[in-house]
Amino acid sequence: MVEPLQLQTAAWALTTTLELALLVQLIRRKLGRLYPLFLTYLLTAIFQSAAIAVLYRYPDLDKVTIWKIAWGTQALVVAMRSLALLELNRKVLAQYVGIWALARRLFLCVAAAIIAYDLMLSTGKWQWLILNGIRALELAMAAVIVTMLLFARYYRVPVNNFQRALAVGFCLYSSFYVINYSLLEKVLKEYAVLWNFLGMFAFIASLLVWTNAATRYVAAEEVPASPAIPAELYGKLSSELNMRLFLLNKQLIQLLHREDKRQ
Amino acid sequence: MSIPVLLLVLFALFLVGLLAWALRPPTRPSKPVLDVFEALAQSRHCSRMSHILNVLHPEDTEYLRETGQLALMQNLRRQRRRIALGYLDQLQQEFEELLEISRVLAVMSPEVIGMEESERWKLSIIFAANCAFLRWKLRWGLQPFSGFTLLSSMAVSIARQLDTATTRIAQATVHASESSPPDDSAIVGH
Repeated sequence: MVEPLQLQTAAWALTTTLELALLVQLIRRKLGRLYPLFLTYLLTAIFQSAAIAVLYRYPDLDKVTIWKIAWGTQALVVAMRSLALLELNRKVLAQYVGIWALARRLFLCVAAAIIAYDLMLSTGKWQWLILNGIRALELAMAAVIVTMLLFARYYRVPVNNFQRALAVGFCLYSSFYVINYSLLEKVLKEYAVLWNFLGMFAFIASLLVWTNAATRYVAAEEVPASPAIPAELYGKLSSELNMRLFLLNKQLIQLLHREDKRQ
Repeated sequence: MSIPVLLLVLFALFLVGLLAWALRPPTRPSKPVLDVFEALAQSRHCSRMSHILNVLHPEDTEYLRETGQLALMQNLRRQRRRIALGYLDQLQQEFEELLEISRVLAVMSPEVIGMEESERWKLSIIFAANCAFLRWKLRWGLQPFSGFTLLSSMAVSIARQLDTATTRIAQATVHASESSPPDDSAIVGH
């Protein structure tokens, strides 16, 4: 039977390979230019893998230093993921000025409420505060992604396949992280290695979704920014306004005639 | 596991479910902008509300009972209820069309007011619930007057909101055309 630790090492190797494959696809399809923050997030994740690999080469390092480096890089990855998520939301909604302004306020409220709720749960040592903070951020990210997709669905805003794939990958990973961490924290400490492997499995699934979407990406998918009010619509609106002015004028004339008759 | 943490886990699972729901293809394809504005110009079914209310009044057919034609009266009332149900379908379709127009307006508008949008969401939920209730009442032969009046006022309120939004967009268009620099090609001509 394969040991959980061996499984984790294999998953780790697979993750790094998939990250590199995705990086190649992003550069080949010129998606890095369109989604620079997502590209930076991916580079940060690769850097994290490399940093942890280096840490494993020095078994004599004390545990606190390892903990600080590991969670420091994790904080960097989470921060970059948040920025990549903001970039995705902006790409989908920002060309609709009114909707985007409303959505930003809604995202802020949703994220703030979730983070406040989660941080209220963390009591005791500061280490738990950091870990709970990361969980709060992950849950807030998942909620913001779902809100963005619901918004786009309600207002029939087009979301291309690559953007959908990014949203699915982010949301699935974040949701799984919250479930995984909550269960690990409270119930299943003895299965920590297995649960770590399952956490990596969620990230591998996200990487596969993203790589597949990047491979199938075609430049035509990008919806060009449409003007707020097209020329045809302007013509239609102005003729409607003229018609209203005409009717008002007609009413005034009718009133005048009535007054004339009274006189 | 404590209840607050359990709630977090359940919320995460709920988000996954919502994600799957949000990714479903839309049930109706979105209409082009011009079609939507043509729909805005069409006459409203709610303007025919009074006729429908008249035919549903029991007094309108009560004379048949007095003349001993009970079967005819019941038949007539059944037919009228069917007409009212058809009318209700049209009203719902119109309401959905108005919602579609309001979405298009919101997407195009440079400014969207959160209160108005949330009010519209609330209206659409109340409208759907009222429609279902009214349909049920009509099928069971009950008197649905108050419901009909409520639906009519809702449709009128939505139409009024749309009117305001159309005016705002027109004003924005006028401002935009005034602030843009003069186009040389327009002066040079062909």
